[in-house]
Amino acid sequence: MAEIKLEKLTKRWGDFIGVDNQTIHIHDKEFFVLLGPSGCGKTTTMRMIAGLEEPTDGEIWIGDRMVNDELPKDRDVAMVFQNYGLYPHMTVYDNIAYPLKVRKTPPQEIETRVAKAAEQVELTEFLDRKPKAMSGGQRQRVALARAIVRTPLVFLMDEPLSNLDAKLRVTMRAELKHLSHELKITTVYVTHDQIEAMTLADRIAVMNHGVVQQLGTPDEIYNNPENIFVASFIGSPAMNLIQGSLLDGWFVTTGGTKLTRVGGGDKERVVLGVRAEDFIITDAGQGDIDVPVYATENTGESVLLTIQFGKQRVSAKGDRHLDKKIDDIVGLKVKPEHLYLFDPVTEKRIRPGQ
Amino acid sequence: MTGKQKKQFWNALQVILILTAAFIMLIPIIWIFLAAFKTHVDVYQLKVFFTPTIENFGTVFESPYHLGDKLYNSTVVAGVTVLFAIPIATCAAYSFSRFSLTGEMTMLVMILATQFVPAVVIILPFFVMFRDIGLLDTRLGLILINLAIVMPFAIWMIKGFIDGIPIETEEAAMVDGSTRIQVILNIVLPMAAPGLFTAGIFCFILAWNEFLFALILTNKDAVTLPIGLALFKAEEGDLWNLLSAAGIIIMAPMFVLALIIRKHFVQGMTMGAVR
Amino acid sequence: MRDKSLKYVLVLPAVFVVFATAIWPLVESLRLSFTVGRLNRPNFPQEYLGFENYAWAFLEEPAFWNSVQVTAIYTLVTVVLTTVLALGLALLLSPGGRLRSTVQTLLILPFAMSPALIGVSFRFMFNPEFGLFDAFFSFVFPPLAHISWLSDPTLAFAVVVMADVWGWIPFLTLVLIGGLASVPRDTIEAAQVDGASGWRVFKDVTLPQLMPVLAVVIILKTIFSLKTFDQIYMLTNGGPGTATQTLSHYIYFSGLKYGQIGYSASVAWLMVIPMIFLTYLYAKHMFRKG
Ligand SMILES: Nc1ncnc2c1ncn2[C@@H]1O[C@H](COP(=O)(O)OP(=O)(O)OP(=O)(O)O)[C@@H](O)[C@H]1O
Ligand SMILES: [Mg+2]
Repeated sequence: MAEIKLEKLTKRWGDFIGVDNQTIHIHDKEFFVLLGPSGCGKTTTMRMIAGLEEPTDGEIWIGDRMVNDELPKDRDVAMVFQNYGLYPHMTVYDNIAYPLKVRKTPPQEIETRVAKAAEQVELTEFLDRKPKAMSGGQRQRVALARAIVRTPLVFLMDEPLSNLDAKLRVTMRAELKHLSHELKITTVYVTHDQIEAMTLADRIAVMNHGVVQQLGTPDEIYNNPENIFVASFIGSPAMNLIQGSLLDGWFVTTGGTKLTRVGGGDKERVVLGVRAEDFIITDAGQGDIDVPVYATENTGESVLLTIQFGKQRVSAKGDRHLDKKIDDIVGLKVKPEHLYLFDPVTEKRIRPGQ
Repeated sequence: MTGKQKKQFWNALQVILILTAAFIMLIPIIWIFLAAFKTHVDVYQLKVFFTPTIENFGTVFESPYHLGDKLYNSTVVAGVTVLFAIPIATCAAYSFSRFSLTGEMTMLVMILATQFVPAVVIILPFFVMFRDIGLLDTRLGLILINLAIVMPFAIWMIKGFIDGIPIETEEAAMVDGSTRIQVILNIVLPMAAPGLFTAGIFCFILAWNEFLFALILTNKDAVTLPIGLALFKAEEGDLWNLLSAAGIIIMAPMFVLALIIRKHFVQGMTMGAVR
Repeated sequence: MRDKSLKYVLVLPAVFVVFATAIWPLVESLRLSFTVGRLNRPNFPQEYLGFENYAWAFLEEPAFWNSVQVTAIYTLVTVVLTTVLALGLALLLSPGGRLRSTVQTLLILPFAMSPALIGVSFRFMFNPEFGLFDAFFSFVFPPLAHISWLSDPTLAFAVVVMADVWGWIPFLTLVLIGGLASVPRDTIEAAQVDGASGWRVFKDVTLPQLMPVLAVVIILKTIFSLKTFDQIYMLTNGGPGTATQTLSHYIYFSGLKYGQIGYSASVAWLMVIPMIFLTYLYAKHMFRKG
């Protein structure tokens, strides 16, 4: 049983606020991802859980223990560091065995457990090497093995895949997912890669400027963003944000075109969020609005059009056989069930009809 | 001259200048080296070609010079100084490197600044104190005061090495279950070992070559090698062949040590702070 | 133990040693400088004198002023010579390659040599009867042979300077080579492409970027020149007469040869004052970035 509760957690350095009064409850056995842009406080949050950073304020609970005053070694967590933090003077075997050794595990058990962990990350043949003689991906796996060799209460992983090439990252991702499923240990995982977050997480906390912007399942985060930051941070390409107003339940662009009916009453300024794949591209005259093509990109599986939309540009995804050129006029329709309205001042989601 | 000739001329000139400089740098060393293998007569006849003899190296260890005693004193004094200095400096360097202490910068600058205090200023009160408590002409006294010379270097050098150890490695060890002491013993010391070794050798050279303190604090029992050079002044003038042999005994081991740590030698001297 | 207390426990022994071996003697010297402090009389350090020792040094002791003058000239000449020559050598050696890096390695040797031994070897080389220079000049230019270098005040001073310059050039060169290595190559190349001559590139691009290191080198060398003792003691022992008697040597003599600890402590403190200023400059340059 190891849920993690962060209660009103704050970290300040002088005037600078790294983490701002956050309350987060992480469930037992959950794979929990902290996602956010660089410098938003993800690592700081994780380091406070590990005991490497002292909170300025607030409480940290692991299971039913308040651990604020416990040293890292007593918190029973295992951590994978962003830059591995391997012991360069020890062999891979000794690296993996170290957490067991300092805990005075009997030698025989150390041997079997290291062997098992090494096998899980497919490192068995490298046990006699020193970290220096290994590739980035191999070192990464040593760091992982060192974490999984024990059965800690909590796994903490700080961008553990960030230094890998694209291909290795995909395989390691699958491996991690499998591992967490198999071991059933509460895991906190830090990343700024949204694909990683979406594919791995049970729940995601999207952070910005030391504040959790939204906490929910990947599906909720993607399909039900709470505010403009989450909406634009998640998804690739970023969600289109179109300025306009609300007139009798219709969204009207700043150029004066009635685009689509979204419900609700009147509002002078709103932002309409539409994902690129939620546009339907038609021939000119057949959509809600006719617009010129500004640029086209063929990604292989689809065609991405950048469209001049009044003074703004938006992107729309079409099927890969779409054959449009720059300056062609196309029609655009939106799928009404996937529209998001935001208040441009508070940046919060507006839910018409409520 | 064509461009190419001009370039060749410059290159040749540079090589000549470099060789000249190297030659000038080596002359005093070579001169001593040659004299150490000459007989008394050969020295006075300024021979460049002579039959080398190793007799001088025997003579200096015999009565009345007993250079062996001085060699022993120098080795013990420099060795024990290092044995004291390195652990003390390592503890401090670790703390300076990894924690933020109140007054840390002041302490570090003060430590650095102590190497600038003229040795004559330091020695006056110590001479009086050692005279009162009977530490004059003892190896212990020399060791204590040599700490004054080596500590600032040792602390700054080792701090530089520890700064270079990624903090993540230590944090990993802490999360893995180590106490701070275990982190220092199991992780930091092994990783900093080459640095500690370098600092140790560096301090050994400093203590070995130390002159003023030994000159003032010793006169018979604890005399070190550099002071021992004065032995070879005879009524009829300096005994250059013996002096040279003694000089080689002083400098040769230091050359070897300096070459072992040559990569870090300059950083050590400036304590890695000139970048 | 918690880090909060551990971190102070760890620095404690070192701070104690530094305190005991540097701060305490400084303070104690200051105290002694206000006393009679004669070693050969009982009840050391005898009665309190106030500033009398200082006044004595300033007003009654030509030897003090002589050593101040010697030290000042010595410092000026050695600093300028060593810095200029070391800079030249560093420029010659910094391109690297087999020959140059071999010479760089050789440069470590003089620096690992005890200053006292440097003094001895120069005394040997400048011996009027069988020194190296004697041999050299009797071969190429006999009028200059058999000069008694160390008996002539000016020549002796020159020899002392030579020994110092010889001993310090290697180290300063190595530091400056390090400084040159940190001057970005592309700025130099850009200037070359822009059509600057070799000298202009050095003056306009390299030198300004080398300035911080050069400043540290100059201050460092000044400090060590002011302190010089070992070579002087072994080479001339301050002579002939007091022609090469530096402040350190003067303090040593008046304090430990003549037993006037109080007086020499006051002179020592007169020497500490410029040191404090220089140390301040040094620290300022060293930690400008941090
Ligand atoms: N020791 C410190 N002193 C002052 N500020 C700090 C300190 N450590 C971190 N910060 C600041 O706190 C903020 C959050 O840092 P943190 O390391 O948590 O970011 P992050 O979300 O992990 O970013 P990244 O994705 O780049 O790793 C940053 O702006 C950082 O500059
Ligand atoms: Mg981070």
